[in-house]
Amino acid sequence: MSHRGGERDFQTSARRMGTSLLFQLSVHERELDLVFLDHSYAKPWSAHPDASSARPTRMLFVTPRRHQDSTIEADIPIDVETVTSTPVPLYDNQKARSVMNECERHVIFARTDADAPPPPEDWEEHVNRTGWTIAQNKLFNKILKALQSDRLARLANEGACNEPVLRRIAVDKCARRVRQALASVSWDIKLVQWLHTTLVETLSLPMLAAYLDALQTLKGKIPTLIDRMLMSSTTKTGAAGAEALSLLLKRPWDPAVGVLSHNKPSKLPGSPLILIASSGPSSSMFPTSRRHRFWQSQLSCLGKVIPIATHLLNNGSGVGVLQCLEHMIGAVRGKVLEIHNHFPHKPIILIGWNTGALVACHVSVMEYVTAVVCLGFPLLTVDGPRGDVDDPLLDMKTPVLFVIGQNSLQCHTEAMEDFREKIRADNSMVVVGGADDNLRISKAKKKSEGLTQSMVDRCVQDEIADFLTGVLTRAEGHSGSEPRDQDAEKKKKPRDSARRDLAFELPERGSRPTSPAAKLPASPSGSEDLSSVSSSPTSSPKTKMATVTSVQKSSQIGTAQLLKRHVQRTEAVLTHKQAQVPISSDQTEEADKEDLRGQLKRQHPPSPPPGSKSSKRAKIKVTIVSHGDGASGPSLPSQGGTTEGGKPITVTRGQAAVGAKELTGLLTTAKSSVASETVSVSPASSSIIPNSTAPSAFHTLQSRLVASGGHCVAASPGSTLPGSTSASSLLQGLSFSLQDISSKTPTLPASASPGPATQASSVKLPTPMQGLGAITTGTGTIVRTIPVATTLSSLGATPGGKPTAIHQLLTNGGLAKLASSLPGLAQISNQAAGLKAPTTITVTLRGQPSRVTTLSPMGTGAASLEESTSQALPSTPQRLPPAP
Amino acid sequence: MATQYFKTVEHTSTNEKKSFKLKKPNYQLKFTLDGHTRAISAVKFNPKGNWLASSSDDKEIKIWEVYSGTYMKTLTDHNLGISDIAWSSDSELLVSASDDKTLKIWNVGAGKCTTTLTGHTDFVFCCNFSPQSDIIYSGSFDENVRIWNVKTGGCLRCLSTHSAPVTAVHTNQNGSLLVSGSYDGLCRIWDTVSCQYIKTFMSDNCPPVSFVKFSPNGENILTATMDNTLNLWDLKKEKCLKKYIGHKNEKYCIFADFSDTDPKLIVSGSEDNLVYVWNLETEEIVQKLQGHTDIAISTACNPKLKIIASAALEKDKTIKLWEK
Repeated sequence: MSHRGGERDFQTSARRMGTSLLFQLSVHERELDLVFLDHSYAKPWSAHPDASSARPTRMLFVTPRRHQDSTIEADIPIDVETVTSTPVPLYDNQKARSVMNECERHVIFARTDADAPPPPEDWEEHVNRTGWTIAQNKLFNKILKALQSDRLARLANEGACNEPVLRRIAVDKCARRVRQALASVSWDIKLVQWLHTTLVETLSLPMLAAYLDALQTLKGKIPTLIDRMLMSSTTKTGAAGAEALSLLLKRPWDPAVGVLSHNKPSKLPGSPLILIASSGPSSSMFPTSRRHRFWQSQLSCLGKVIPIATHLLNNGSGVGVLQCLEHMIGAVRGKVLEIHNHFPHKPIILIGWNTGALVACHVSVMEYVTAVVCLGFPLLTVDGPRGDVDDPLLDMKTPVLFVIGQNSLQCHTEAMEDFREKIRADNSMVVVGGADDNLRISKAKKKSEGLTQSMVDRCVQDEIADFLTGVLTRAEGHSGSEPRDQDAEKKKKPRDSARRDLAFELPERGSRPTSPAAKLPASPSGSEDLSSVSSSPTSSPKTKMATVTSVQKSSQIGTAQLLKRHVQRTEAVLTHKQAQVPISSDQTEEADKEDLRGQLKRQHPPSPPPGSKSSKRAKIKVTIVSHGDGASGPSLPSQGGTTEGGKPITVTRGQAAVGAKELTGLLTTAKSSVASETVSVSPASSSIIPNSTAPSAFHTLQSRLVASGGHCVAASPGSTLPGSTSASSLLQGLSFSLQDISSKTPTLPASASPGPATQASSVKLPTPMQGLGAITTGTGTIVRTIPVATTLSSLGATPGGKPTAIHQLLTNGGLAKLASSLPGLAQISNQAAGLKAPTTITVTLRGQPSRVTTLSPMGTGAASLEESTSQALPSTPQRLPPAP
Repeated sequence: MATQYFKTVEHTSTNEKKSFKLKKPNYQLKFTLDGHTRAISAVKFNPKGNWLASSSDDKEIKIWEVYSGTYMKTLTDHNLGISDIAWSSDSELLVSASDDKTLKIWNVGAGKCTTTLTGHTDFVFCCNFSPQSDIIYSGSFDENVRIWNVKTGGCLRCLSTHSAPVTAVHTNQNGSLLVSGSYDGLCRIWDTVSCQYIKTFMSDNCPPVSFVKFSPNGENILTATMDNTLNLWDLKKEKCLKKYIGHKNEKYCIFADFSDTDPKLIVSGSEDNLVYVWNLETEEIVQKLQGHTDIAISTACNPKLKIIASAALEKDKTIKLWEK
């Protein structure tokens, strides 16, 4: 077995290096990894002599201090010519530039009167200020100044090698100034609306683009205020323009788009539950910061995230800090216990920011958790640094990762090293260069190193994933092959037995394969593949269904023409993906991977076939690809064949004519009948359950979804929607219901029933997106990673899942073009409700499905195809609902 | 005795080294371009190296063909004498700074002024394009540096931190930094994006800065001060690396330039009517070009050919092209 461990280590490293382009970004101190790959006996240079449990510190983006060499230089000829080569930006420059110029390209949407000639370049002199009040003049001038300096920044940055990052910084600055200006008039609604209208009318196109960029940025921060500001223009421009504009403003662009969305973090092994300890009592008045919410969604890429909020009684009046802290610790502790009871075998990971990190550490002393991650650890207190002899933290036994900012006020690296020395628990530390307590890097750092916060966040996330993967795989226990594993086991077992029935625990452990699959007592079919398929984090049944439906569709159009390219791409994706798949040294997981490959192959341009009967599409096939099938090589020629192969386990869900009620019935029956066979079905069926409980909007949606069950699940926009029903209203319903659901879920006991509602949303959410990806053919379904503003963790599970429909549309020549190519067919629905729930920009098509194919251009299909294949994959794991 | 012996040995060795290094450039007069009716203020080669533009106190800009030394065209529109000119990187535009307080952007091909930049409140003394040629920087006797949008002709920003006339503006090769020199003795390095100054250079005793320029790679700056000195600074280390002396420069803002020939040279005019050529590395004068009959105020090195252009003031009014 011991060789396994080595293999695993290797794979971990390989995975990290292979997948993460960002890896290169932060190489400063990481060359060491290469040394370790070749020379496993080598000690890390920063190994602690005293503390064996403290792993060497890892530095992210910490610029090595350069020693001033004052001695030489006399002999070195002065070079006045050679330009020191600038480092190539590590993001996809082309893509970044394309998103960067989004606003510039579509600035015309903002113009109220598109037919009128745009204002001349010297518009400033022509602005007619008669009748303006002092306040108006003042505000206008302020905005103008901000825009002008942005203009200058743009010009000055033009042609720079990391122009996108520089532009991002400039736009952020401009947005800040615009916001300041608007705040200076207290967002006076009349004034602000006047300003917007005036600017739109008078600004020259380049300036207007800058203004839109600023609005776009602000919209991400203060959506309601911006919406209020834009309201007036909505009435003027008419719905189409306004919608296009609001789509454009949907969220700020990010230079690192390509890199981040192409290199999705993979799920952690062992499907752990990630508990986020809040760093303070939550109150409705002060919602959690956007950054924390963003991270919550980021973390949900790694596993199921459960945020723990502490509410104070009587609005916190008369509650002391100590009490409050106790309360917080109590809440986290209670949750940990609760989860232990309901999911006795799920690893629990505690994550906290700042104070939350402390809380997490304290809880880990009291309760058994698998690992603790401290983001921005508050080491320094009023009484000096933590880690005094009587500090309970020193008793920690849980592996802990500290992620601290280099410029943090609450701790510094040296003190942390001292502290780490004293901790007996296995601990690691990551220092993020130039970052503060919240791991945000400074503007100067961004500028000098060509970074964005999103890149840094991803690198931090990679580090966390790396740490946790190590801990989890060790905890999973390749029973005692390595001494440290044994140690870990020893440490764990007494604790386990204290809490749980040992008799129950041990046999379970013995028989358990590493794959989390076996954690589900199900899979009575006895097939190993099956069980692994159904429960492995990398292949959620949900995706599979969606995948298969799309396969079915595509198999009927000219698959053959596409096949060649498709297959090529698949291989590429595969090699890429192979590195990403969490270490698998087990048969089962390998099967998993095979299966994944199968999926990959089958992931097709989900454009529906022209002549396909809805009844065919309506079938939801839960195809579980058998081992052999999946392994039959990447160049599996016949898609139909695969589906055929899957037939034995195919569950026909609904027919085109099946009404909502019927559908529900069918599905529930399906559940009861199938659940015994394959676990994979259950989430799908449970996704329907909330029907009865969910708000009526959801109901409407259901009842209108006459098309098919496949529709309901895969929400493929191409399938026949009743012509009379407005597609947008359908989606509106969907988004509303999702919002409702999401707002409800936190109240559901996360464990008692894994929450059908939760599942519903987690299942539902990705689907419209998939459909979108199908239609819009754009460059990447997931164009940006965005903070997901919902409290629901499972909602957050689709951070990459935001369809940037607008972007895709726009890149393909704009809405106008789209509309003209599809007269009367395209209807763009944009949800106000979508402000919070991210997946609500949807483009729905009405009409015969056969027309739809004309929309999804096969020419560009190659690109879109590739995108959708590669991207559907990383997001797969996110859709895994908690095992019931 | 021993020490002396030692010294001589050392001396000869350095001499050898120097003589090896100092292949005398030996520039010879090639053409004398006659045409301006008053003192010439500046000569500039275009980036392609085939044209030479000269500005003069006679309110005219003249374009010359370099290889043949022939006159090509004259650009006129300014109301007063012109102090400085600069080429855009595509060699299609020229910008001129004039005493009539304006700058003009010229389309050289059409021979016409396309845009007039107004805003300065005193003589505009120096101007330059950004490397992307979408921004123009200008310095003026009103002590301000102005930043102009080439496309629109609008003033994007006015930087007013100098306390005396601004004598030179120049950007580094990627346009991220701007350097401005002023009579107040300061050389300021600006961030072109945020328009904040990052560094300030000054010589001891703060002699007025008459000229400043980035090295081709943007890592050094060359400053001319009115104490008969040229300094080469290291931008990062903020210290003076080389000092070029021997010429005379106390009254006029005399241009200097880098010559990327081998060995690297520094070329500058002088108030004693000569053009001085230094070895960049050794600080030694390698050649003095004799011929002008008045102060050689402007010199320029051709970016492609081994040609130096020099122009002189009122009593001379000619441009001389020197070729190696």
